[in-house]
Amino acid sequence: MADKQLPRVGVVKMASCDGCQLTLLDLEDELVAIGQRFDLVEFPEATSSRSSGPYDVLLVEGSISTPEQLEQIVELRARTKLLVTIGACATSGGIQAMRNWSNEPEWRASVYPHPEYVDSLATATPVADHVQVDAELRGCPIDGRQLVELLTALRLGRRPQLPDEAVCNECKRKGRVCVLVASDLPCLGPVTATGCGALCPGYDRACYACFGPKDQPNVASLAQWMGGSRTPQQVDRLFAMFNGYAPAFRDAAQRAVPVMQPVPRPRRPKATTKGKAS
Amino acid sequence: MVMSAPPGATFLPRERFDALLDLLREGGRTVIGPTLRDGAVMLGEIATAADLPAGWRDVQAPGSYRLSDGNGPRLFDVVNGPQSWKQFTFPPRIPVATARREGTDSSFAPIAPDPPRLAFLGVRACELAALGVQDRVLAGGTYVDEDYRARRESSIVVAVECTRAGANCFCASMGTGPEVRSGHDLVLTEVEDGFVVSSGSPAGDRLLSRLPGPRATAAQIAAASGAVAATRAAMGDDAVAAEGLRDRLMDKLDSPRWAEVADRCLACANCTMVCPTCFCSSTDVHSDLDGTVNVAEREWDSCFNIGFAKVAGGNFRPNRSDRYRQWLTHKFATWHDQFGSSGCVGCGRCITWCPVGIDVREELAAIAPPAIPVGRIPPRPAAATTGRFDVATLREVHSETDDTKTLRLTPGDPALLGGQPGQFVMVEQPGFPAFPISCSRYGTESLFLTVRGAGPATAALINTPISGEVGLRGPLGRPWPIDRALGRDVVVVAGGIGLAPLRPLIDALIADRDRFGSILLAYGARTPGDQLFRDELISWTKAGIEVVQIVDRSGPGWTGRVGVVTNLLDQRDFTRRASVAFVVGPERMMQATTRVLRDGGIPAERIFVSLERHMECGIGLCGHCQMGPFFICKDGPVFSLTELGDLFSREGI
Repeated sequence: MADKQLPRVGVVKMASCDGCQLTLLDLEDELVAIGQRFDLVEFPEATSSRSSGPYDVLLVEGSISTPEQLEQIVELRARTKLLVTIGACATSGGIQAMRNWSNEPEWRASVYPHPEYVDSLATATPVADHVQVDAELRGCPIDGRQLVELLTALRLGRRPQLPDEAVCNECKRKGRVCVLVASDLPCLGPVTATGCGALCPGYDRACYACFGPKDQPNVASLAQWMGGSRTPQQVDRLFAMFNGYAPAFRDAAQRAVPVMQPVPRPRRPKATTKGKAS
Repeated sequence: MVMSAPPGATFLPRERFDALLDLLREGGRTVIGPTLRDGAVMLGEIATAADLPAGWRDVQAPGSYRLSDGNGPRLFDVVNGPQSWKQFTFPPRIPVATARREGTDSSFAPIAPDPPRLAFLGVRACELAALGVQDRVLAGGTYVDEDYRARRESSIVVAVECTRAGANCFCASMGTGPEVRSGHDLVLTEVEDGFVVSSGSPAGDRLLSRLPGPRATAAQIAAASGAVAATRAAMGDDAVAAEGLRDRLMDKLDSPRWAEVADRCLACANCTMVCPTCFCSSTDVHSDLDGTVNVAEREWDSCFNIGFAKVAGGNFRPNRSDRYRQWLTHKFATWHDQFGSSGCVGCGRCITWCPVGIDVREELAAIAPPAIPVGRIPPRPAAATTGRFDVATLREVHSETDDTKTLRLTPGDPALLGGQPGQFVMVEQPGFPAFPISCSRYGTESLFLTVRGAGPATAALINTPISGEVGLRGPLGRPWPIDRALGRDVVVVAGGIGLAPLRPLIDALIADRDRFGSILLAYGARTPGDQLFRDELISWTKAGIEVVQIVDRSGPGWTGRVGVVTNLLDQRDFTRRASVAFVVGPERMMQATTRVLRDGGIPAERIFVSLERHMECGIGLCGHCQMGPFFICKDGPVFSLTELGDLFSREGI
């Protein structure tokens, strides 16, 4: 398959759960066709054959969370023509970006028995904070159809059609009943970029903005309206999710995060009878 | 050829409704109508009458929709849900064309329309008007949307006249309903035990001639038209001042209001998606990885979406305010120029389904107010005519303060008991000039007037002996617009005797307590001894009203706050659920209060005041109470601050 004519594609990850990469592997109907048209030179999730570049297209998952990743992303950028971030972590920092407003050493100490072994940055930040990003796929995880559209557009040399409109558009097209208006659920659809196919409201759930803010989201107005039946803290916490560090959600998320304090790690009881230690 | 006379109306008993469905289904048609799904009335297949939402009703408010089970047999008491018939005539997403590329060859082919054969059941008058609008837009010009035309031509339209209006309905204002006049094949009007069915087209004639059932009786036909007339009366026809709106709106392209509404607007496109006339779409091409097989799909788009007016060099409508203005001015103004009618049919969906409850009626009134105020002025009883007073008997007197008493009177004319909160009566006593007094309560048999003996005539009135008679004329004037407060937080502010005209409003809020958000009553009086209705202040608290009080000067036993009424308000945030305020008191107090309310986030069009002026005739003939463009007696006394504009805080007007 290593045809020199095919675009060389890499898929790499930073701090993330691998779910977005799995979306590519889950494209069962298209995967063979994609494999025939792109040379997947680097994709540790799928193949043990590796390549350090150069890449025509690099799909980057995850946020920049360690000094090592910071060096790595700069190097990768230099070896890449088109860098595409995939998913909420790479695009806006992800759930781990909540540590950006906390005392990171304190949290680390509350989680790990030997925090000194962990070499992490005080912040988890989007890839675009460090290097130029050419395109982004939103979502936690990304949407398979959008990924195929991106690859198709890359191949045909056109712009990918990634709509920047509220989730509400898709809810209405699909004939769904608005869970905000009809059930007062705390739905963030009106300020969230579509692309998911309006998944959650189709299951009578409120959108929790895993695709992040749409362009010009009116967060203040929606928050104020939702405040009619919720406390300000309840409203703020809605935004402290996968895209809480996205600039449009950041103020609300930041207000919500300080109330989430680390729980001191319980000291392990000293081993007595069963332990190896003397 | 001899034309046969159109068949008359048929009566279809409710238990025989399936006979109509059988008839509509002939030839393989599918019947689409209102069904219950996911907490709303949605359009879906109707196999039997049991699929219809029997007994259900909807409760709509800006940004809110709930269903309630009325347990009755009536099939069409639920008015519009979020979906309109454009779901079927102009579907949200359809393939419209294909393209292929093989080597260097390209080929293109439109997809021929292949419409399903549908019968639309339960099309309301506003919806018929909307179909008419879309007919003009999509099939009435030089270029025609073939798919739309084919879907329209292949469908049968069975209309239903509304015998109930939703709180956000304003078809009568837009001149589209509630009566069904044209555009239908059949029309049903639901009466007590069935439907009066008549035809509106040759296809409808054929269906009706085969519908089993007796001819509708004159009584049934009268009951049907009476029910629709009652719907019209309940809805009112002045929610939007449609006449001249085009010019008024286009004169206001620079209104500061566009920026204000953009602060609330989410640009989420819900209003345009639920609008039965919005027709904007985009066509995206989806291809395989090689670009060999391409399908163009048309889908609903919206002028609120940021990409809608984008070009390579930028965006023609970059701001939310631009996009809101675009939508409102197209819908209500330039639509006339392009398509010969308003683009709005008054269905109210954009109000209900706006996630933050933006109300076009309110925006239009604020941006392009009519020359005369918009409001519901109830029909006047005969007793309103100058000089014709009804004789009412004084039954009871209750002293409120040293100089103020509440009188309970039983009028001879029951129309006086049908007044609404905020209205007033003219009081006449032989030998004295007539004067206006706001009603302070409406009972089942009695009317209550709370009167301060400030002058000779009012002093005479409060000293009338029990069983004495006085002349009353009314009820007069424009009442408090209570429906504007549905689903919202309510702020009531009274200064001194200003609590009297607010008491019927408070009664009405308590009677329907569940339909409002929080209710705050802020009451200021000069001294504790000047407070009205002291016992009731406590009972109102028990009824779910937050009552806060203040006096200018303390007195014996007073442990509450001392100061002016605005002290009760200036630390509050009224923006949580788009509050509505009702204010009565001395004019200075109202000026100060409304300033604080506006600072607290209530926009001018949701602050209502009741103005006092010298009145003699009470019906806009004598000229005493004229203020700017208004006669306070007939155009008021209740006004929104928007209507008053800078007349309100001006002295010497």
